[in-house]
Amino acid sequence: MVNLFKRLRKLETMLQTKIGTGAAIFPSISSASKEFPAVTRLHLTYARKIDQGHGGARHFWRKCLPRLKYHNPGVPMTVAQTSNQQGPAALTIYFAERVGSAATALANEKKVKDELAPAPEANEQSAVLDIKNRTYQQIWDRVQAMTGAKVVPVTPDDIALQHKLSEIKKKAGPDRQRVQAIRQAKKDQERMLAEARGQVEKQV
Amino acid sequence: MSSYGSVLPTAARGLLSSCRNPLRDASIAPVLSNFQQVRGLKNKPKKGKEQPTKSRKGPQEFRQINLKDMPQYSLCDAMRYIRAIEVGREPTVQKYELHIRLRTKRDGPVIRNMLRFPHAVQTESRICVICPPGSKAAKEALAAGAVLVGEQEVFDAVKAGTIEFDRCLAHPDSLPALNKAALGRILGPRGLMPSVKTGTVVEDVAARVEMLRGGTVYRERDAVIRLPVGQLGFSPEQLRDNMRVTLDQIKKDASALTDRVNKEVYEVVLSSTNGPGFSLNGEFRTENSPPTSALTGM
Repeated sequence: MVNLFKRLRKLETMLQTKIGTGAAIFPSISSASKEFPAVTRLHLTYARKIDQGHGGARHFWRKCLPRLKYHNPGVPMTVAQTSNQQGPAALTIYFAERVGSAATALANEKKVKDELAPAPEANEQSAVLDIKNRTYQQIWDRVQAMTGAKVVPVTPDDIALQHKLSEIKKKAGPDRQRVQAIRQAKKDQERMLAEARGQVEKQV
Repeated sequence: MSSYGSVLPTAARGLLSSCRNPLRDASIAPVLSNFQQVRGLKNKPKKGKEQPTKSRKGPQEFRQINLKDMPQYSLCDAMRYIRAIEVGREPTVQKYELHIRLRTKRDGPVIRNMLRFPHAVQTESRICVICPPGSKAAKEALAAGAVLVGEQEVFDAVKAGTIEFDRCLAHPDSLPALNKAALGRILGPRGLMPSVKTGTVVEDVAARVEMLRGGTVYRERDAVIRLPVGQLGFSPEQLRDNMRVTLDQIKKDASALTDRVNKEVYEVVLSSTNGPGFSLNGEFRTENSPPTSALTGM
């Protein structure tokens, strides 16, 4: 089994799925308002390569979706990756019953059609957001404006852990250089010895 | 030498000087050591025999890490993290994995078995059975769900390059024919060649087919048993059932070996295809865990 320290460090980086861009809670059935109805599902479609402005969409999947999923475990989230670079990069948000005015306004800025997104069910309404040529931060800002998601506050424990990890990361650079120097010195020594031995053998 | 000469009797002096001679010490040293201690003699290597070197073997048991600092999670909390990390991936393709660390010796027998989950992890595997066509075993194997049964037709298909099965079993009656067909080159690298050693040559073919269809093969490597226990879409209850069956079976396997070695479960880690490993504390859920319905499906 993998060394304990490696496993521990890997688990500490799990902090990244808890805090950061996208760590927010969607309105649920109980906390829904008229403007921000409950979010029932998400679907993301984007193309495999970053050409034609699909890069931000992939970053959104990699960075924001895990955090959203962690804080909203009950909301199904699906991702479809296509090989059609000309196709749309779209995020479909499914609301219960109705779509709020902010969501409608943002979705109507530029209309896209996402054929891979599942059709909304009878009690659902969907809003499709065009995310081509946008960074993941821009996408997240829009999603937040559309859904009224509440950002989860960072706890002091998390801040302390974050601080500790950043300290370790800061120390890693000089440490790496120091060890590199030691290894290089050892290698040089060995090489010089080998060369010296070679010369002696030649003379004999 | 002169200082010794003045103290020791003549015979001993002669022996002493001769034992310094490396050519002769082998024959004389044992005699000498019986009655007289001579400096430096003890450390001299004996010819022909192995030197009593320091044991270069490591410890007999696998080193066990101290789990004091390891954060441990309840099943639901671990699932919540794993599902967040695996978000957007195909829920039937991504698997939950279980890594079971054992406390065991470095040598000796290992746990190696097969088990059947209450909730099947793999989609049905296709099984080929090599047995005399028309025999009782062939009929039973077909009834148990084997996709390909026979002797010569299987060999021909394999030689033609069409291998449409994931597992291959053979009946002992067909073993001579199988060896004659020389399929080892084709099936061997794929791990499909039936052999007595791997337990794929069996009398009761039907029972084994039944077992393999929903079964998972596992074995202990370096004191860890790793096996997939569920699809990502499974509910916590389904996963718990599968894990319970797995651990029960492994404990049974371990107790079957108690006459030779002692094995016990040391740590249970839940991981997934792309996720990190979460050490489990044995609890199902905590107060802050989301409801189990939220941890099901996509």
